[in-house]
Amino acid sequence: MMKSADKKRKKESKKCEFEFCKVCNLNHDHGNRHKYFPNHTKSLSTFLHRFQTKLSDIRFFLRNPTILRPELASRNRFWCVVCDAEVDEIGSSFACANAINHLASADHAKKLKHFLWKYGGGMDHADNFRFSEADLAKWEKKCHSLNDGSSSCSDRTNGLQIGPSNDIQNELSYKSINDFENNNLGPLTPKFLNNVLPLQYNTHKYQISQSGHPATAADGRIVCGAHITASGNACSASDRWNSNNITGWQNSQHCIPHTDAVGTSNFGNGGVSVLLTPFDLSFRVNTWPLEGAIYTLYTQLMVIFSGLASIAQVSVMAPGLAEGNVHTGAPPPWLEMTVEHHPEDTSVPLSSKKGKSKLNPKRVGAAWAEKRKAELEMEKRGEIVNSDCGPNWLPNFGRVWQSGSRKESLKEFESEKPELPKVEVDPEMPITLRPYVSKRMVDVILSVEVNCVRLSMEKTVMGPDGMWQPNGMEKECISGMPKIEVCSLPGMLQQLVWGGYSTLWIQVALDLAYLLGVILQKQSVAP
Amino acid sequence: MSYLLPNLTKKKQVDSIIRDTIDKVLVLRFGRASDALCLQLDDILSKSAREVSKFATVAVVDIDSEDVQVYVKYFDITLVPSSVFFFNAHHMKMDSGTADHTKWVGAFHTKQDFIDVVEAVFRGAMKGKLIVSCPLPPERIPKYQLLYKEI
Repeated sequence: MMKSADKKRKKESKKCEFEFCKVCNLNHDHGNRHKYFPNHTKSLSTFLHRFQTKLSDIRFFLRNPTILRPELASRNRFWCVVCDAEVDEIGSSFACANAINHLASADHAKKLKHFLWKYGGGMDHADNFRFSEADLAKWEKKCHSLNDGSSSCSDRTNGLQIGPSNDIQNELSYKSINDFENNNLGPLTPKFLNNVLPLQYNTHKYQISQSGHPATAADGRIVCGAHITASGNACSASDRWNSNNITGWQNSQHCIPHTDAVGTSNFGNGGVSVLLTPFDLSFRVNTWPLEGAIYTLYTQLMVIFSGLASIAQVSVMAPGLAEGNVHTGAPPPWLEMTVEHHPEDTSVPLSSKKGKSKLNPKRVGAAWAEKRKAELEMEKRGEIVNSDCGPNWLPNFGRVWQSGSRKESLKEFESEKPELPKVEVDPEMPITLRPYVSKRMVDVILSVEVNCVRLSMEKTVMGPDGMWQPNGMEKECISGMPKIEVCSLPGMLQQLVWGGYSTLWIQVALDLAYLLGVILQKQSVAP
Repeated sequence: MSYLLPNLTKKKQVDSIIRDTIDKVLVLRFGRASDALCLQLDDILSKSAREVSKFATVAVVDIDSEDVQVYVKYFDITLVPSSVFFFNAHHMKMDSGTADHTKWVGAFHTKQDFIDVVEAVFRGAMKGKLIVSCPLPPERIPKYQLLYKEI
């Protein structure tokens, strides 16, 4: 059991070589599993859809073979994604002939099968992507008939296709411009020409794919556009034009409105083509009288054939013309616009102000700003505002050496403020060093001194060298100042006191001095 | 120099300009007219004041006037010139890689540098940030030594 599960896992995790999937446009190592992945199926559907649109264009030409103009042949290239091959139309006399042949070929069919197997499109859909032999046969028949038909009226037409499809791409060989000028172009009878070929529907592949429903015409309306090309070759449409009288011409079912912009100019072999689309004309004709339409058509042609052949004709803008132009003295459009916009101006600043008021409410100081704006407005109105901005107001500031929130910065500053006037001034006092003399000692010394003086007066005194000497110094000791060096105490005591010895010794000294004083007093008292 | 920018000498003037500049960056330059670097900064400020006028106001405060000393102390201004940024009466800090984020010390190399700095402040303020980072590369930021509490 376990072994088989392991084997399965191994199989699943078996890595394949990297290969490129052209549907997904990526390299993968999923191997055969790749075509079942959902991403791949999605990409495949879009991929095939795109290919299908191109095939439908070609299918159109399969049903309606048209003569291919050699100049335009180079533009019609077809890339077959199945065969990874490009099919061009050089040398083909009919539109998409090579492509049709390719798609009907056996080689293509084989490769298509391989493609569907590999990328998983569904083998039953193979027929959507190829043409059957029956189709090919039909197409070839039509081509033959075309060729025959064209050769029969070759005196007037060079390869002009007469048939249901009036295709500019096919025909277009023109006589020179001079032919146009020679014709009498009356305003109401555009028998232009030998050179004018009415275009009844889109002929270019891409135009066809974009085209919508065919335009329908009512009586007396121009539905087809006039494709006017001038090239070296002669082309005839004159009979057709004459036969298809504008006034009474009905649309054929092949007329398809051209949704592209009007006024494209194809520069063929030095020629000029102006494309008036049926759609546009029909649109305009709906709003215009017939004469107007014909007139504009005429004017365009005159512009072209009066020598300004290289200028592309601007499309006929019906509404503008109807309203007036420089020649009729109408006001220019920009002035009208400003008039219209002036009433809008008052609304614009309001909206901009509203935009400003939608300033980010989270911006710094938003609440304060709103409050302040309100205050200012009140001030403008003349009301007295209670401003909390006293002389001591300070803004919200984050200080340099601050730790904590900014609200504390003011407090810190306030606390620092009173310290400023309290600047300490050091009194200049010279520091002199003196031995420490306590008050008690001072008294004792004084008393001892006095007694010693008395003693010395009566008896011998202690000389400076510590020896008792006969009294010779009477007045030296009398002094208020504790000049101990003059004192005639026993030398040890003297030294002790003056030298600043330890308190113990001083205490001893003091006691001795006290005793001495007492003794001396007694002695003095008792003669 | 200062004749183009409002020159403030009283605390009340400074107060009013801080309070009245709404939804715009306020640049207050603290300096003195005699200092060369200050003059250079003033030159740049006055030339670009108009360009940033839609989103910033520039003003100059004389650091030597007595009335303003309280601000000098409050903002810890020790080096000249120093520029402080405000938005809606709130102080904006800028981290330019230097020690002091609360102000800009020194001058700018070009007008564009100044405009970039003010723009960065404005953008940050509009987003609600009280501190923004400096858009200038380090070589364009004037360097200085900040002593701790004026020792």
